[in-house]
Amino acid sequence: MTSDLRNRLLLLLLAPLCLLALAGAWLDYRSADEAAGRHDQRLMRLLPALADSILSPAITEEGEPLLLLAPPVEEFLRQNGGTSGFSVLDLKGRVLLGDDWLGNAVPTTQVPEFHSVEHDRVLYRVAVQRSHTGAGELVVALADGSDPRQQWGRQMLLRVLLPNLALIAAAALAIHWAVRRAFKPLVELAEAVERRSPRDLSPIDEAASPAEVRPLVDSLNRLFALVNAQAESQRRFVADAAHQLRTPLAGLQAQVEAWALAARGGAAGAAGAQSSDLMPDVASARVPLAQGAIVLGAEEIEKLRQATRRTSKLAHQLLALSRADARNLDALAPQSVDLKALCESLLEDFLDAATAKGLDLGLEVAPARTHGHGWLLRELLSNLVDNAIQYTPCGGTVTLRCGMEAGSAFLQVEDDGPGVPEAERGRVMQRFYRLPGSAGEGTGLGLPIADEIARAHQAELALGQGARGQGLLVSVRFAA
Amino acid sequence: MRLLLVEDDVMLASGIKLGLTDAGYAVDWVGSGERAEEVLLAESFDAAVIDIGLPGMDGLELTRRLRRPEMAQPSMPVLILTARDALHDRVQGLDLGADDYLVKPYELPELLARLRALLRRSQAATTAVLSFGPLELDAAHRTAGIRAADGMAGVAAASAWPGMQHGGAVPRVHALELGPREWTVLEYLMIHAPKPASKDKLLQALTGWDKEITPNAVEVYVSRLRSKLEPHGVALRSIRGFGYRLELRPASPPG
Repeated sequence: MTSDLRNRLLLLLLAPLCLLALAGAWLDYRSADEAAGRHDQRLMRLLPALADSILSPAITEEGEPLLLLAPPVEEFLRQNGGTSGFSVLDLKGRVLLGDDWLGNAVPTTQVPEFHSVEHDRVLYRVAVQRSHTGAGELVVALADGSDPRQQWGRQMLLRVLLPNLALIAAAALAIHWAVRRAFKPLVELAEAVERRSPRDLSPIDEAASPAEVRPLVDSLNRLFALVNAQAESQRRFVADAAHQLRTPLAGLQAQVEAWALAARGGAAGAAGAQSSDLMPDVASARVPLAQGAIVLGAEEIEKLRQATRRTSKLAHQLLALSRADARNLDALAPQSVDLKALCESLLEDFLDAATAKGLDLGLEVAPARTHGHGWLLRELLSNLVDNAIQYTPCGGTVTLRCGMEAGSAFLQVEDDGPGVPEAERGRVMQRFYRLPGSAGEGTGLGLPIADEIARAHQAELALGQGARGQGLLVSVRFAA
Repeated sequence: MRLLLVEDDVMLASGIKLGLTDAGYAVDWVGSGERAEEVLLAESFDAAVIDIGLPGMDGLELTRRLRRPEMAQPSMPVLILTARDALHDRVQGLDLGADDYLVKPYELPELLARLRALLRRSQAATTAVLSFGPLELDAAHRTAGIRAADGMAGVAAASAWPGMQHGGAVPRVHALELGPREWTVLEYLMIHAPKPASKDKLLQALTGWDKEITPNAVEVYVSRLRSKLEPHGVALRSIRGFGYRLELRPASPPG
């Protein structure tokens, strides 16, 4: 946010600055040009005076012509000290008088000519003219090193570009600093909001924020409160609905279970002791056929029973999910939970289900404790084990692990079933999402519940691959 | 076996009653704690199944009251039904005198298994005879035996708990010769069946006999027991990383 603003400010400020610099340079050049024109005029006016200063030719062949500098020329030379010069040449270009370096080209006409010569690292504007003098036709030249146009080019860098660049750099720094400084409260606010978990909708401290952003904090807090209230009422609705559903569902389930047991007992009695190892005393009584009764086959009752179990489980899970919410838990004091005992107790709970499916359900546990809510952790683990048993095909292995690693407790459930492809691992955490083509009677809530409970315990739930390159490994790592 | 069911939800109660009746129990059902207390003052039951969430007097209070000496049978085993999210009630329930609890939503076979275990324990406490399938353990005489079975189909389809109806008075076809430590292990397993027993707990049960006992010793006794029980259709299944569980298997030809 701030860097964007910084760039925009910089751009908006730099563009006019550059335009100003260009305009300044142009104006500068214009004035230099005018001044140079005036200088040329002055040189041109001085040339005849110089020519007039030559009074007579030399007395000897090798001697110099007689020169008496006219006052204007003398004044010019005196005024400009080291940065001026003059020379008198004969028509062959030989320097008769004055500075030796001022003598090369001889003009062909009597019109004054101007050119620039660099001498001794000074650029001179030189005016040359053929003219009649007291010593016959000679060439006179005057040089002025104070030519503004020459100097302008050199000074351009120093006088215009450098200050402008410095100004721009200073402006950039100032903008950077000022924006950072001005936006610090906003950035801090943004960070504070960003750091929050989606569950944390408590109001932001208004007193700690500066006056400029207080209205923003205020409206954010109002929004939080609204969202909070809405989430709360939704959660309460789900909890109430699930709770209300649970009782009639439990009744329905009890009825259907009784029928199923009776039906299975009859079937088992007929077929011999199939699948009766765990229930040696299933009665073979059948429900007597009353008036208006319909007859349901054992298979249909079994279907009915599966559907009832699933519905009842769903109601239970919805309730668990709404109870697992971190905000509801804050009120309860966490206790020390023995994870080893939890694993053992869940093994007992799920042993029959695993045995019925022909799975090898086992433990690899070491003593481990963590702080939390026992019934929720039980819910977490029970959802994981339930999933493992449901999705691992007959003959597979499901292992519960717990222990301490680097000072923090962990729980693991590993199976050698189909696993979850890496691309799907994020999505299976979404409520009601089920892997395409997955078998079993899942509700799509098991992993989300486990994840929710893990978060409520500041633990991290991760999905991975089983040890032998197949299956699913769910790890829950608690904070140390 | 006569059971008292205390449950206010008619649908749930009738389902449970149906299931329990089917399994061979005689079930009396009352809809409130107050009514249950009245009934219990006059009559005795072999066990009670009580829902915690009753209107008026709740299940916990009822459990506390039925342990009072003026009740017809204060030592009656009590199984409490509770919602899973109200699980902290369970500790309270067990403190107040419930013997076991079952978390909703439960399935009927689970309820039956828990009831059987409860009844077996209470039966053992009064008659000193534990039984599991054809297997019987007489705690008073420290003897074990395999009861005559009229075929496995008979065992599977027999009513509620055959061993209990006959007590220990069944003629034995086969007496099991068990060493004292084997006996201890088997007793522990039978008390807890159908729940599995952890190796640690078995080890603790054995340390009464031997101070320097090692976990390996448990395996030794288990494997000895296994060879003695398996020919009679009683399996001692290993639970990986945990312990063992007694299970019934269709008998291999008796050896």
